[in-house]
Amino acid sequence: MEIINRYVYAVSKRLPEAQRNDVADELHGLIEDMLEERVQDTEVTEQDVESVLVELGHPRSLARKYRDRKKYVIGPELYDLYILVLKIALISTIAVNTAVFVIQVIFNPLSILDYFVNYIVSFFTVVIPMVFGWTTFGFAFVEYFSEGRMEKLELEKGWKPSSLPPVPEKKRQIKRSEPITGIVIYVLLIIMLSFSSEYFGIWIFQDDELAGVVPFLNEARYGSLIFLAFIIFGAGIVKECMKLFYEKWTYKLVTFTAIVNFVVMALVLFMITRMQIWNPTFMNELMQYDLITKGSEGYDVVRQIWEQLTFWTVIFLVFGLLWDLIAGFIKVRKAKVKWNI
Amino acid sequence: MSEAHKHLDKLMQELRRGTITIGALSQLHQPQYGYSLVTTLKEKGIYVEPGTLYPLLRRLEKQGLLESKWDTNETRPRKYYLLSELGKEVLDLLLVEWQNMVTSMEYLIKERREENGDH
Repeated sequence: MEIINRYVYAVSKRLPEAQRNDVADELHGLIEDMLEERVQDTEVTEQDVESVLVELGHPRSLARKYRDRKKYVIGPELYDLYILVLKIALISTIAVNTAVFVIQVIFNPLSILDYFVNYIVSFFTVVIPMVFGWTTFGFAFVEYFSEGRMEKLELEKGWKPSSLPPVPEKKRQIKRSEPITGIVIYVLLIIMLSFSSEYFGIWIFQDDELAGVVPFLNEARYGSLIFLAFIIFGAGIVKECMKLFYEKWTYKLVTFTAIVNFVVMALVLFMITRMQIWNPTFMNELMQYDLITKGSEGYDVVRQIWEQLTFWTVIFLVFGLLWDLIAGFIKVRKAKVKWNI
Repeated sequence: MSEAHKHLDKLMQELRRGTITIGALSQLHQPQYGYSLVTTLKEKGIYVEPGTLYPLLRRLEKQGLLESKWDTNETRPRKYYLLSELGKEVLDLLLVEWQNMVTSMEYLIKERREENGDH
């Protein structure tokens, strides 16, 4: 009877190719056996067939019983990491989008409504599908090709009570929001720098419109600047990831931070002293826009600030990075002292 | 359905899951096809849906506890299942465990009954 074929097909099409025929043959036999028992020696009616099929249940649930394979795209071993990456990716892209929106509005405040609509629409058409899609795709890919090795790995590693991590002490603990914010800021900086480095300067407004930008940076050096910035911010992201991984301040983490910070410092010092990163015609350009006139008091002040910029950048950077280190070191120390008592 | 019956249903489902495997294995010293096994088990008071038993037999075969063979001589082709050597070994061990469990449970329940009897 045709309806039996339809039922068997509905079950078997949900099974892996290799089992399909065998299960289908067996199911045909089963249905016939059940019908035979039901009607004994009388004729089989359509109603009998229907009751038998209803008794066997929905083809999907029967197929599910046959399949004992896992039924998820991303397994429990990867799930936590997946959610974490998704969070960071979402926050970063939302931050970037918002920044772009704000910049657009500053340049062209009259079209704010257009920009706003675009901003909102892009969430549903680009941001969310892209971030969700690619993150999920990446993890699903890993899950699919790991074929349960992940689980085995976790089991094989073995477990003993002494390998349990200590309960984190409040003072040493790094809040998750801290490195996540860090990563988001770095991503934001990278994107801003690579797409709009020419806007990094003094904005000249004339008649309520942006007339031009006097850039802080030397345009001739943008290429190598962006490359170095990638390395520096990339190192920053790695550093924040380590914080996420360790979850608390340890000497290891402080050492690692120290190495990253010193490399960053060396790179920045190199950039500033050897590469002429600042706009060499900054003062002249300012004069062109009539912002300052040569010989005035304002001119001297701006020139002084401009000339000392390098010095203060280095000072701030060195202190910032050192503080990062010292703060971490103090946190480890404090916790250790408390423990020793 | 009353609250108690709802819980009972769920617990019985969990309880059956393991016992059906023992029940099926215990009947397969002689080759049987799926539906004949459903019938024999039913006759002996163990009710199991074909939709549960068929996939179970297939899984046990995959694990190597059962062997199977298609019999095409009858009016309709049927897949017969039989305990493998490994299956026999496992079943013997399983039955010892089961017997221990039954004894222990009996003891637990009897103890409780006697307590109640004292009141």
